[in-house]
Amino acid sequence: MANPFRLPMVPRALRNLVSRPATRLYPTELRPRFAGARGAIVFDVESCNFCMLCARRCPAAAIECSREDRSWAIDQLTCIACGVCVEVCNKKSLSMSAEPGRVHTRAEATPDGRRPGREEWLKPAPPPDLTTAPVSAAATD
Amino acid sequence: MKRTTIPFGPQHPVLPEPLVLDLILEDEKVIDAIPTIGYIHRGLEMMVERVEYTEMGFVVERICGICSFMHGMGYCVSLEAIMNVEVPERARWLRLVWAEISRIQSHLLWLGLGADAFGFENLFMHCWRMREQILDIFEKTTGGRIIHSVNRIGGVKRDIADSELAAILAELQELGAAFKETARVFGTDPSIAHRLGGVGVLTKADALAVDAVGPMVRASGIATDTRLGGAFMYDQIDFEPVVETAGDCLARVLVRLREVDQSIDIIRQAIDKMPKGEGLPIENRPRGLPSGEVFTRLEQPRGEVVYYVKANGTKNLERFRARTPTFANIPAMIKLVKGCDLADVPNIILTIDPCISCTER
Repeated sequence: MANPFRLPMVPRALRNLVSRPATRLYPTELRPRFAGARGAIVFDVESCNFCMLCARRCPAAAIECSREDRSWAIDQLTCIACGVCVEVCNKKSLSMSAEPGRVHTRAEATPDGRRPGREEWLKPAPPPDLTTAPVSAAATD
Repeated sequence: MKRTTIPFGPQHPVLPEPLVLDLILEDEKVIDAIPTIGYIHRGLEMMVERVEYTEMGFVVERICGICSFMHGMGYCVSLEAIMNVEVPERARWLRLVWAEISRIQSHLLWLGLGADAFGFENLFMHCWRMREQILDIFEKTTGGRIIHSVNRIGGVKRDIADSELAAILAELQELGAAFKETARVFGTDPSIAHRLGGVGVLTKADALAVDAVGPMVRASGIATDTRLGGAFMYDQIDFEPVVETAGDCLARVLVRLREVDQSIDIIRQAIDKMPKGEGLPIENRPRGLPSGEVFTRLEQPRGEVVYYVKANGTKNLERFRARTPTFANIPAMIKLVKGCDLADVPNIILTIDPCISCTER
């Protein structure tokens, strides 16, 4: 039979009374993110050529990309932060930040019922280059 | 005598997950227990027919939040065997290091849950405080605390710098020294010995008869461990399986306590023996589509896990099965529950370290 007066937890419990708490007062006190942490996907619309590889490879189907509309959108709540899109991007338009994506509430859903967390980018089509426009045969005659 | 049936679960204070046991009682004694599973079945075996094999790794990793690294590793190792990919040595060592870190994480989590189940709240918090340090190591090295996503068919996605490996080892050894104090509480506190000692004894013969696995079978005096097979670089590690002979709930706690120290020692040996240097290859991308079938066995924190993968030369696998340690331990749990007191049922169930999400996939 074990000695009933043996209390091995007592020294630790007494030390706990005077030591600092092991937890943080989240969200007022935040721990800085580690450098390699996987967080939200960051998109740079200027360098993207809309090859749509990221949308095809995304295992969670969180990315929508359209070459015709020159649009790119990600559903940050569907994204599983695996980093496949960042790896396959040829133009280095995608990167992963260490910070997590913003937390969205249901109240933020758009009136047409789209879920919150969707981030959209649209690249305007370049203006037509008038200097090299083909001259029609009728005008030269 | 009149019999009473008490449904235990799917919601119960000691159960983090939905397991159901219909306990048939005579007075306070449990006469029979009828388990029911299937509350969180997610149909991975059907899903594999429509998800591409490269993407399936991310799904398999999410079978369970505690052995997520091992599940991802088991899947990738299976496909590497089918596709005949030679994994670079450094990647194999890194997998071993991460696998052992996740074993420490799992055991600390379980020790906390166990302490909470037998009413030792203070001890529970200390175990989970230490587990938090392990999760930080995971976040630094893999980018995720729970879902690591570092395994890939052919290797690993991230390397750990040699200086960082040394820092991790120092941190783990410091944690191991601090853990000694907590381990002493588990080993010597009279209330724990009173609550767990002699409860739910699984004899050596019974453990063999019901095919228990992992810490469960090692606590009954059988020195078996899938890692002894030597695959995944374990042949270069010098270790002995942790064995206790009592077979009761306390013995299962002690096995897991000692396995934490053992894992730290395995990580030390691995970091010692791993090829050093910058820019060593860590992955070898496979070519073509997989065709063939394979069985893979791994030693997860809870015991042996078996994967069966069958590929038919298309982008989708034909078959994927995982037999997880909890599934293998359910017959042993039923055997232990029969004949015990109702008040001991929570402790007996917890000492098999049930993971229902693994079991139901």
